[in-house]
Amino acid sequence: MIFTIFKKELIDTLRDKRTMRTMLLIPLLVFPITLTLFVNVSSSFEKKASEEKLKIGVWGDLGAKYWNQLEEMPDGLGKKELQNFEDSAALKRAIEQGEIQLGLIVPKNEAELAQTKKTISLTWLFDASEVGRQERAESYMNYISDKAESARLEELGVDAEKLHPLVPVFQNCASDKKMIGQLAGGILPYIFIAFGFIGCMYPAIDLFTGEKERGTIETLLTTPVSRWQILVGKMMVVVTSGMLAASCALLGLFVSIEFLDIVDNKEILDIVHGILTPSFIIAMFSLLFPLVVFFAGAMIPIAVYAKSFKEAQSIITPLNFVMVLPAMIGFFPGIELNAMTAAIPVVNIVLSTKELISGTLSVGYYCISLGIMLLLATLSVIVSYRQFGNEARILN
Amino acid sequence: MIKVSHLRKEFELSRQQKKELNTTADKALAVDDLSFECQPGKVFSLLGPNGAGKTTTLRMLSTILSPTSGSIEIAGVDAVKYPQEARSKIGFLTGSTGLYARLTPLEIIDYFAALYQVPTKEREERKKYLFDLLNMNDFLQKRIGKLSTGMKQKVSICRTMIHNPEVVIFDEPTSGLDVITAENIIKLIRDCKDQGKTVIFSSHIMSEVDLLCDELAIVHKGQLKYNGPMSDFRQNMEASNLTEEFIRIVQR
Repeated sequence: MIFTIFKKELIDTLRDKRTMRTMLLIPLLVFPITLTLFVNVSSSFEKKASEEKLKIGVWGDLGAKYWNQLEEMPDGLGKKELQNFEDSAALKRAIEQGEIQLGLIVPKNEAELAQTKKTISLTWLFDASEVGRQERAESYMNYISDKAESARLEELGVDAEKLHPLVPVFQNCASDKKMIGQLAGGILPYIFIAFGFIGCMYPAIDLFTGEKERGTIETLLTTPVSRWQILVGKMMVVVTSGMLAASCALLGLFVSIEFLDIVDNKEILDIVHGILTPSFIIAMFSLLFPLVVFFAGAMIPIAVYAKSFKEAQSIITPLNFVMVLPAMIGFFPGIELNAMTAAIPVVNIVLSTKELISGTLSVGYYCISLGIMLLLATLSVIVSYRQFGNEARILN
Repeated sequence: MIKVSHLRKEFELSRQQKKELNTTADKALAVDDLSFECQPGKVFSLLGPNGAGKTTTLRMLSTILSPTSGSIEIAGVDAVKYPQEARSKIGFLTGSTGLYARLTPLEIIDYFAALYQVPTKEREERKKYLFDLLNMNDFLQKRIGKLSTGMKQKVSICRTMIHNPEVVIFDEPTSGLDVITAENIIKLIRDCKDQGKTVIFSSHIMSEVDLLCDELAIVHKGQLKYNGPMSDFRQNMEASNLTEEFIRIVQR
């Protein structure tokens, strides 16, 4: 009987365009579209910035020392066109008005400072609101600076190695898998939680509040099916929808990584492939399933209580923030899974999934996290059952 | 057969409801000590003004609501103790019954046949009989949302009768329907009576009651004001017509 209800509700849900959009279409397309847009837009900006021929205004370079160095600089550091300025105010104004893109101010006493082997401050003017300007100035400066340093050391007759007795060498002992898990591992449970919640939302409202609003619940309750069977049948659809939405979002992310050239580093791609093993996927879904049941169990009493679709939506939408906010904990480095965090719902799932990706998840903490979520899911089902059995609530 | 004895239903009032009803009472009495019997092959009418307790009574008979006290027997089954068993013997139809707009009539009928656990062979026979009877074959595959009110009403009737129930409960079945569509319901009630089923229907329209019913119960503010054969009601009325007599009894 539960399966009969599940089958009917699933067909009904799959024919609802609004639910289909939130359950399948948006989760499936959100990452391919946004990531493609993001990567294309940002790379085109970067390309444009690096290929752009910049006009550089120079003031105070009396002996044309820096002018010459800039001119002889290879185009690989960025194409340029030099322009001499008579005063610094005009140079600044030209940058503000966009006539030139970079300005170099050479101090008046540059020759004296060079002669006395003092530090010379070269001031670069730029408009920080334009992408890549500071980076271009830094690359020019590094070139000039390296040349000046070599020349001065030669004048002093000092070997460069003698000036640097110690050179630090930092070696990372963490595996790449662990690094990815800790740095980017938070995104996976966040996606699942956010889309799992949204995926549950519309079916929960439609199958409970919607039935009340349309008057079909009364007919259903007159059939010889017990209320718990009706509840379980409907709840299974809500959970399926949540799992589908979350899975579609992950699938969309995977497709983006795999086929849209978003990650161009082969090593990282190999690590991602190494992480996405069947056992990882099973373990991740085992953690996320009770979470989605908990979402469904939290939404159903509200959907049963609400008298209209709008009312249900207005209560459940803020709940989204309460549920999804803890999921952001995964983005912060340093917060680890321990006996305490394993007992905090949602947070435990996020941290466990992160550790799962890193390959450092301890069985004990996994069991605590899973146990807590199963307990919470069971409680939410009991609350849903009570609310669904409340005759004052179930009929409008 | 339906046997109702000393039926009572109280509703707990929420803070909001207390405010709306302008009362400090914690409970509202919807049905107060109602007793009556409906015989097979007869149409029993529950007549009363809006808010009289008709829908609450019928919802208790169909076990959607459980009574505060009293007993209900549906086709020999104690409906308070064994609600699920009682429900298998009931067909329930209301004027406001919505249908699943995204399903087709065929899917809805199959769904309810499955919920009532109608055996496959019997299900197919019942479907053929009802589809032919109600002239539904032309729109069986169309989505409910695209059907006219009359077509939807036929689907509701078919859904109510798919398991061939012994007892049929109609809660203001013609409410909101035009005369032509309401005629389908009137015909259904007559057919049920001819087939020896126990029929109970609620209404606040005296002319409809006059047309159909054999036994009459008038309820007002949850209490039974009249219970007896329709013929006796007609014979003994003090007012000049049935509607005035109904108003006289209610205001007594």
